[in-house]
Amino acid sequence: MKCEAQMKRFDCLRTIAVAAADALVVTSAGAVTLEWNALRPGDGNFRVRTLGLCSSIALGMALGLPYRKVIALDGDGSLLMNLCSLPTLARMRPKNLVHIVFDNGVYEASGGKKTATATGTDLVGIARAAGIAQARWAHCEDEFGTIVTEALNGQELFFIGAKVTTERTKVPPYPIDEVENKYRFIRHVEKTENVAILKTNLPASYT
Amino acid sequence: MTEEEAAKTIFNGLKAAGINLVATLPDINLAQLLQQVEADPDVIHVPLCREEEGIGICAGAYLVGKKCAAIMQNGGFFNSNNAIVTTLLQYQIPLLLLIYYAGDIGDRTFSTSGSMTEPVLQALGIRHYVMREPADAPELIKRAQILTEDSRRPVALLLTKELLGRRASLKSL
Repeated sequence: MKCEAQMKRFDCLRTIAVAAADALVVTSAGAVTLEWNALRPGDGNFRVRTLGLCSSIALGMALGLPYRKVIALDGDGSLLMNLCSLPTLARMRPKNLVHIVFDNGVYEASGGKKTATATGTDLVGIARAAGIAQARWAHCEDEFGTIVTEALNGQELFFIGAKVTTERTKVPPYPIDEVENKYRFIRHVEKTENVAILKTNLPASYT
Repeated sequence: MTEEEAAKTIFNGLKAAGINLVATLPDINLAQLLQQVEADPDVIHVPLCREEEGIGICAGAYLVGKKCAAIMQNGGFFNSNNAIVTTLLQYQIPLLLLIYYAGDIGDRTFSTSGSMTEPVLQALGIRHYVMREPADAPELIKRAQILTEDSRRPVALLLTKELLGRRASLKSL
């Protein structure tokens, strides 16, 4: 597909937000968390603070709730730190997981130094070689929308790479801390899945 | 207990404590235990490439209602430290860590790892217990699972060779 202009991460996120429905969404450490939460605020979003762990946390969710779509919004710097998550994703093959990587070629939140993708490392190629059959680059916005729709409507593990500019969109700060994020997320899963996850025990004097 | 009996006792203890997702990376001393995990269709087994990803997988599964355990060597525990600090501790997420105690007294090759294991766990504020008697394993695992859920912090169980039925246990250890 021919591309007229480079993609912006924020535009890609807008496309995902339209299609995401009730999917649980895990966002990597960095600005993608703020931009995503500006577009689709809510308690079904989980923000990752450990660089690299986005794909792994999303895999755990996908394995735990195999009938619920889970979307990982990852970055190149993050995935490069946890490349071994790709063979594990391929091995477990969760059909409800869509792993999207925004590749801007830099450690954006850490001062803009180049990542290895800036010198030719091909993350989609690595994902495919790791054993993920549906691993594709989206080269422009239309193509990105088409692949995301196919992935979210399908029943197959998807890995989608999108080369984006380093541009950040000005959005509000993320309003809650890690522990509140955890509780809100779990309560959201309890409510939407109609399950009890956090149980409060009776005091010893009542048992 | 033979190695196989010890492995079955430990694994049954995990199941009795409600564990239903286990992330693992092999060590020769853990081979029988991992065999038990792999053979059980009711437990989701996630074989890892590196232990740190297992911390993320268990954290994600916990957030959607799974009860998880991670089984690794202490070298894998060292590999996992950033995830333990900035995911488990920072978000107050419980996790049962079953760590093979390489370099324990009399265990050759990794004595440096052995000498660092408990000090690092202590520095992280992770409560830990050295397991030596296989018959006690189910009760100790049950108690550790209560502790990790209640404290919302990881709890580490250090698995020794005698626990795993790979050498005789001593009365004084």
